Amino acid sequence: MDEPIRAQTTSEAIDPVLARLDPDRDRPTDVMATDALSLSFASTTVLRDVTMRARQGTITALIGPTGSGKSTFLRTLNRMNDKVPGFTHSGDVTLYGESIWGPRQDLLTIRRRVGMLFQRPNPFPMSIRDNVVAGVRAHGIARGEQLDVVAEMRLREVGLWDAVKDRLKESPYRLSGGQQQLLCLARALAVGPEVLLLDEPTSALDPLSTDAVERLLRTMTPALTLIVVTHNLGQARRLSDSTMFFFDGRLVEHEATETLFANPREADTGRYVNGLMG
Amino acid sequence: MAQVNQTYASTRRRRAAAVSFRVGTLLALALVVGPALWLVLGVVVRAVPHWRWNVLTTLSQGTSGGLANAVVGTLVLMAGVAVIAGTIGVLTGIHLAELATSSRSGALARGAIDILAGFPSIVLGYVGYIALCVGLRWGFSLLAALLILSLMVVPYIAKSTESALRQVPTNYREGAEALGMSSGYALRRVVLRSALPGIVTGLLIALSVAGGETAPLLYTAGATNNLPTFSLLHQPVAYLTYYVWTDYNQPSDAAHYVSYDAALILVVLVLAMLAIARIIVARTQRHSETSR
Ligand SMILES: Nc1ncnc2c1ncn2[C@@H]1O[C@H](COP(=O)(O)OP(=O)(O)O)[C@@H](O)[C@H]1O
Ligand SMILES: [Mg+2]
Repeated sequence: MDEPIRAQTTSEAIDPVLARLDPDRDRPTDVMATDALSLSFASTTVLRDVTMRARQGTITALIGPTGSGKSTFLRTLNRMNDKVPGFTHSGDVTLYGESIWGPRQDLLTIRRRVGMLFQRPNPFPMSIRDNVVAGVRAHGIARGEQLDVVAEMRLREVGLWDAVKDRLKESPYRLSGGQQQLLCLARALAVGPEVLLLDEPTSALDPLSTDAVERLLRTMTPALTLIVVTHNLGQARRLSDSTMFFFDGRLVEHEATETLFANPREADTGRYVNGLMG
Repeated sequence: MAQVNQTYASTRRRRAAAVSFRVGTLLALALVVGPALWLVLGVVVRAVPHWRWNVLTTLSQGTSGGLANAVVGTLVLMAGVAVIAGTIGVLTGIHLAELATSSRSGALARGAIDILAGFPSIVLGYVGYIALCVGLRWGFSLLAALLILSLMVVPYIAKSTESALRQVPTNYREGAEALGMSSGYALRRVVLRSALPGIVTGLLIALSVAGGETAPLLYTAGATNNLPTFSLLHQPVAYLTYYVWTDYNQPSDAAHYVSYDAALILVVLVLAMLAIARIIVARTQRHSETSR
């Protein structure tokens, strides 16, 4: 893909004076990027030389056969692999241009800024309301009665409020799988992330819930930048702006979604998107 | 045709295996439930006919009188063990499950726990007597009894805590980690909450074991007809199992009655602990995955 676009290029044209005053004027619009990232667990190399970037407010889909390293890649972006025994890496991952492993970075802050949603819904063993505000409490973002406000706001945001408003104190495990996943999404959104990583977020859900989650994800841009692993090629096409095809730990191709599906550059990509490869 | 016969035979064999498995599990169940009922009933039948409530309020006079001193003594011992062994055991369990998964300190702690768990309680009592009562000149005392009883049940509490923590789904830990919770915060707010029923159950069972123990107490708590005092040293402590044991070996009916009464009170105490464990589990499991 082409050169990084800077925020100033657009706002400068509209109002050069205001643009000068904008504190974000030098902020790169590449929210998350990797530079020649290679990664191993002990002697197993899982990722080789992955360079990519995710633009502000876009949805990036990660596709590729099972075992190609999609989950590992995703979990590296919020440093969930750091503590895996034998983890080593070379190259870098940056968040707004700064290395996530940089000396001034705080691990917990990185995780707050880069949220994650998992394949299987994983509400905590506490009430629905406490689930939504679990992260908010941990980071001391709100307290006391503010928590109720946060809970309502976030539950409304994911369209769950009407379904659960009368049972906020009850167990989340009585909700349907789709509702549980929405609850986890509300919990992730509540801490105000800038990037959301999603690892096959709908593969454990029925088609209706999948549809609900997908629609919701689309409303979350451009405020958020999403990176979604999916096995569902239809989902990748419906949802994403650009698509990355992983194969055997390598990023084979990263293109605008339409281009990648209609006109793949690499033979492997073509075989995969045409269903000729697992 | 041969093919068909073969499938038929293997189906029959599978069905026979399933049936004998069921019978086996039912038999095992009966072997556990039977003796448990028989034990409880045996104690109840012997104690209830002559039961008088003032046993709970009057002090013992050797082989006659009430058991108030022993009831209070046993409760004080159990409470002390809950504090001492509970704290040490739960912390050790947390260390084993969360912090020392592969390290040397984990191996060391695990070895120590296995040794302690395998130690005969009477030997533990004797060692306590030599080291604490005689060596440190504590005499028969509450503190000596508490330390030895605690040492006895700490392995149990540590192991049940460890296994409860290990059973917490990775899902929860990952979810907490991804939200940016520190590992300590996640442990306190998410992981322990989910492991709590297992930890509490282990603790209460350990307490009933402690309450029902005799051998180490004979060496460390001594015997007395008085209520426990507030001093930790130099004052013997009464406890129920002492009366179960000594009075049963007396020739008089009155002494036997005291023995049965003490046994009944102990059984009720243990059952109460188990009931409390259940209630706590049910309460804390309100939001758990298993009790949808
Ligand atoms: N902790 C680990 N230790 C060793 N190998 C691992 C570990 N985690 C993942 N792998 C390996 O990395 C490869 C990629 O796995 P993964 O990222 O889960 O792929 P995907 O999500 O694309 O299916 C697999 O071959 C897997 O066995
Ligand atoms: Mg995966």
